Amino acid sequence: MMTMRMNRTIVVTLALLLLQTAVIPWLIPSAWSDRLLPHLPFVMTVFVAMFAGRHRGFLFGLGFGLLEDTLSYGHMIGAYAFGMALFGYLIGLAAEQRSSRTLALLLVTVGIGSGLLDLLVYFIYKLFLLTHLPIAYVVYWQVVPTLLLQTFAGLLLYLPVRRWFVKNVAAAKEEANA
Amino acid sequence: MIGLILFIAIMGYTLRRSGATWPERFVNDAFGTVQGALYRPVGAVAEFFRDLGRLSDVYKENEVLKQTVARYTQDRVRYNKIESDNKRYEELLHFTETQKQFYNYKYLFAQVIASSTNPYDKTIKILLGSRDGIKERMAVITADGLVGLVSSVSEFTSTVMPITEMDPASPDVISISATISGKEDSAFGIIEYNKENGVLQMSKIDENAKVEKGDTVVTAGKGNLLPKGLIIGTVLSNQVGDYGLTHTATIQPAAKFDHLYEVMVVVAPDPDNP
Repeated sequence: MMTMRMNRTIVVTLALLLLQTAVIPWLIPSAWSDRLLPHLPFVMTVFVAMFAGRHRGFLFGLGFGLLEDTLSYGHMIGAYAFGMALFGYLIGLAAEQRSSRTLALLLVTVGIGSGLLDLLVYFIYKLFLLTHLPIAYVVYWQVVPTLLLQTFAGLLLYLPVRRWFVKNVAAAKEEANA
Repeated sequence: MIGLILFIAIMGYTLRRSGATWPERFVNDAFGTVQGALYRPVGAVAEFFRDLGRLSDVYKENEVLKQTVARYTQDRVRYNKIESDNKRYEELLHFTETQKQFYNYKYLFAQVIASSTNPYDKTIKILLGSRDGIKERMAVITADGLVGLVSSVSEFTSTVMPITEMDPASPDVISISATISGKEDSAFGIIEYNKENGVLQMSKIDENAKVEKGDTVVTAGKGNLLPKGLIIGTVLSNQVGDYGLTHTATIQPAAKFDHLYEVMVVVAPDPDNP
């Protein structure tokens, strides 16, 4: 049984959100600035859903999705809040069926999750007639590069998350008993 | 299911709305402070390294700048003469005070503090808010040209929606009317952005208007929304539009929309309360 230190995780995710909006745009070259649009809070949502269960994943995704939507409010609020809450819950649900949490499993989940999230957001904007781009173009132009970048971000975040934010309840109990 | 309905309601509600509620304003301001502290130093470092890479171009750039200054000085003399003439004519024609103040724009410098990573809401944030007199729908420009419009305002920060986000078919559209510099009385069109090709399009141009490659496209200032004469871009090509009755021109945007460091907000005098 594993769980997470939520306070620390939330503080670090806030810092990551600041990094994402204020630092990362400078690091991405002009030609790629439409294509690489990472969502670091989503990567953290996947970690939370995997390690702390579906309810926390849901709330975490909802909170940070809403925050991201508010910060980038141009057309409407709610697309990322909905998407991240939904995928936080679904990933948590799927992860509870399995006991192992390998790096490969996490990275695949981050990759598939971010691809599906971007598609969901695309369909929401399409539903409200805010975008008219064809889906094949969106997938090629933005979803796949962002997916690869987010998987890479997941790789970078894996070790710190494992070391500082995840605590193993069963192991801790055993230690206390011994 | 309830969640889904709730979210669709929220999205629909926030779609066409002006004004921000206090939680939004608070979140924007709280984040804006920290984002400003991060974005500017990082931007300075990034610019520094880019400048290092272009050190060899400085000599050439200096030459060009010298020529520009020389031309500017000549233009300044002409401008002063035209301005004084214009004042005299306004007196002669008995302009009212409101009419005289109509094109007296103020420019507020604003630091960019963050840019969004939402692919369909690529807004930027600036460190000027309602406290500094920013209002919604004010035009935001750089030295190169029009960047966008202020979309929401908090106390200390505001959000700018770039013209690349303004899709004429979307439900919350703000149409930008444009004209050609030097042909203001014949050529009119509506600006829209073509995301796939990364160019702007000016549609619904009268087929008798002579729009040619290299012409400068500026805002027309119709409808009291945008100030007049802000540079939008240069014409790349002009072809017959969708229905054959009007022309559509392809326009290379003058301003860039990413890696922005500083922008200017154009404050037009308010005709309702001067």
